[in-house]
Amino acid sequence: MNRRLVLSIFCSAAFTVSIRAAEPELPTAESVLDRYVEVTGGKAAYEKRKTEIATGKLEFPAAGVKGAIVQYSAEPDKYYSSLDLDGIGKVEMGVIDGVAWEKSALLGARIKQGDEKAQALREAHMNASYHWRDLYAKVETAGVETVNGEECYKVVLTPKEGKPETMFFEKKSGLMRKTTLTAASPMGDVSADVTAVEYKDFGGVLVASKVTQKAAGQEFTTTIENIKVNEPIPAERFELPAEVKALLTKAK
Amino acid sequence: MRSCRRQGLCLIIFSVSLHAQLTPADRQLNLDSFEKVWTTIRDTHWERNPGGLDWLAIHQEFQPKVAGAESLDEARAAMREMLSRLHQSHFAILSATVYDSVQDGAEGPGSSGIDLRVLNGHAIVTSVDAGSPADRAGVRAGWIIVNANGTDLDGTIKQLSADSGVSELALTRALLARLSGPLGGTIPASFLDGSNVTVHIKLNLGSPRGTPATFGNLPLQHVWFESRKIDRAGYIRFNMFLDVARTMDAFGKAISACQECDGLIIDLRGNPGGLGAMAMGMAGYLVDKPGLRLGTMYMRDTPLSFVINPRQPGFTGRVAVLIDAESASTSEIFAGGLKDLKRARVFGTRSAAAALPSIIDRLPNGDGFQYAVANYISEGGKPLDGVGVQPDVEVRLTREALLAGRDPVADAALEWIRGKGTP
Repeated sequence: MNRRLVLSIFCSAAFTVSIRAAEPELPTAESVLDRYVEVTGGKAAYEKRKTEIATGKLEFPAAGVKGAIVQYSAEPDKYYSSLDLDGIGKVEMGVIDGVAWEKSALLGARIKQGDEKAQALREAHMNASYHWRDLYAKVETAGVETVNGEECYKVVLTPKEGKPETMFFEKKSGLMRKTTLTAASPMGDVSADVTAVEYKDFGGVLVASKVTQKAAGQEFTTTIENIKVNEPIPAERFELPAEVKALLTKAK
Repeated sequence: MRSCRRQGLCLIIFSVSLHAQLTPADRQLNLDSFEKVWTTIRDTHWERNPGGLDWLAIHQEFQPKVAGAESLDEARAAMREMLSRLHQSHFAILSATVYDSVQDGAEGPGSSGIDLRVLNGHAIVTSVDAGSPADRAGVRAGWIIVNANGTDLDGTIKQLSADSGVSELALTRALLARLSGPLGGTIPASFLDGSNVTVHIKLNLGSPRGTPATFGNLPLQHVWFESRKIDRAGYIRFNMFLDVARTMDAFGKAISACQECDGLIIDLRGNPGGLGAMAMGMAGYLVDKPGLRLGTMYMRDTPLSFVINPRQPGFTGRVAVLIDAESASTSEIFAGGLKDLKRARVFGTRSAAAALPSIIDRLPNGDGFQYAVANYISEGGKPLDGVGVQPDVEVRLTREALLAGRDPVADAALEWIRGKGTP
């Protein structure tokens, strides 16, 4: 009986080995990420981008809630966004000099900490997809999966601080189609599925103009309508709101 | 409309009396209803194994019972038994007649300006909006509403109260719906005044109190907010947690204006809730320590903490929250959380026990199916759904107090703020 068990394990192992041998070799995560940079515009196009002003809309279709969004970004990692949601009002977020903050009529002002702060700082990085080497400590290709009918390379990116994110890059086009991540929020960690479609050329770089996020039983879609590249952005745009400055002073 | 409803009732009574002759089509409708109930719980319950049960085995056990049911009553009883295995509130099968009565919402936005509660089996006027049609017609708090638009309210109360699936909240809403209708319309109503003399009034229907506000797919709501000083205490009342920009601004200003107050009364009686995040936003003015939570909502695979972000200028004095059986959802999250954190003392009667927006769907066989999709545990570790917030100090409204122009619940809170009564 024991011999049969051993044989059985051996057969399974042999089968596994033969399956593995038949699998095509996966590309390195580095090459997948570099290809993404290439197909979306290339090094030169990214390096030319110093500022961005993106405008668009955000919708929660099931709840019938929508709003307008405007995002300002400047090299290397200055960020400000304002989302004006019908029935809720303005939700502002920003990153400047290593401080990630949020302010709304609903919840007041606060300074982000921990994983939430690390995530905000990463996302504030201008041309984050081009600078992936600066933002992630480890990247590896974990397999091939189908996303919306297209075969994609599954790449796991482990940031220097925070939880790993998994991105799916289309084999054929090299474009990123989906990200799964654990989003840190003051309400707790929330698993999120983010799909990216309708890539459009904004100032020489292809950007997914429609991004749908599913998290905590809700789904919302952000549609980028326009991105102005290298427009001057006044320094005041990135200044901390008075309420956030007061929180920083209190914390000292 | 009314006559159609009566016809529907007759048909249902008729079908019940002929239960032995359930047609194949009726049986199929019962089976379709069972599948809808079972599948909905499988797909939306916050636990992967609802109630810790083997949900597939539950299907195998109850599907034959529904298939073999000889009447609608038997099929309904089998589905109710299945739901009872969950041992969780907000899972119910409502008979078609009860479903119709409960779902029979306002037939228009027109309001008489009357608010009511059921006290001792009667619909009692608890407040009349100043300047409203009822106010102009002389209706006063404490009057008994005997009949509204041809409906005997005592009879309706008796019928709906007999069904365990109908909460006090649903009962009050069903009664209030009898006092609403199209703008500019009239509703004949009869009352017993303070001397128990019958008064017949044709109530005109006007715009509801408050400012129209929309939020997503929700129907248009009228939201109002009031704040004033009572002696050295602040008093805040608003009818729902909506219209974020205006309501949060008004709340913040009321707190700012009350920095020197001995205490603050936040009156959530009759407040059905609204946007849950507003509970966190308002609580932020009442705590000065970061990291505190009102509670946690458990959805499938995702617990969400209702974290309070301290805001300036905050209020550090005594806080009293007033609740009753019509305080639901966000009102309960707010009151229950602050009570658990020992930041507020709660006065009144037990809340609606509807911390979560449960959904009521029509089943293929005509019955109603109520279900919840998440669980909410207040910071003290107890679920609010089905349990509600138990006040620290139970104070009931009485007809006598209302007729005398007194509010015993607010009075008790004021006494506490003044340093008298139970600490």
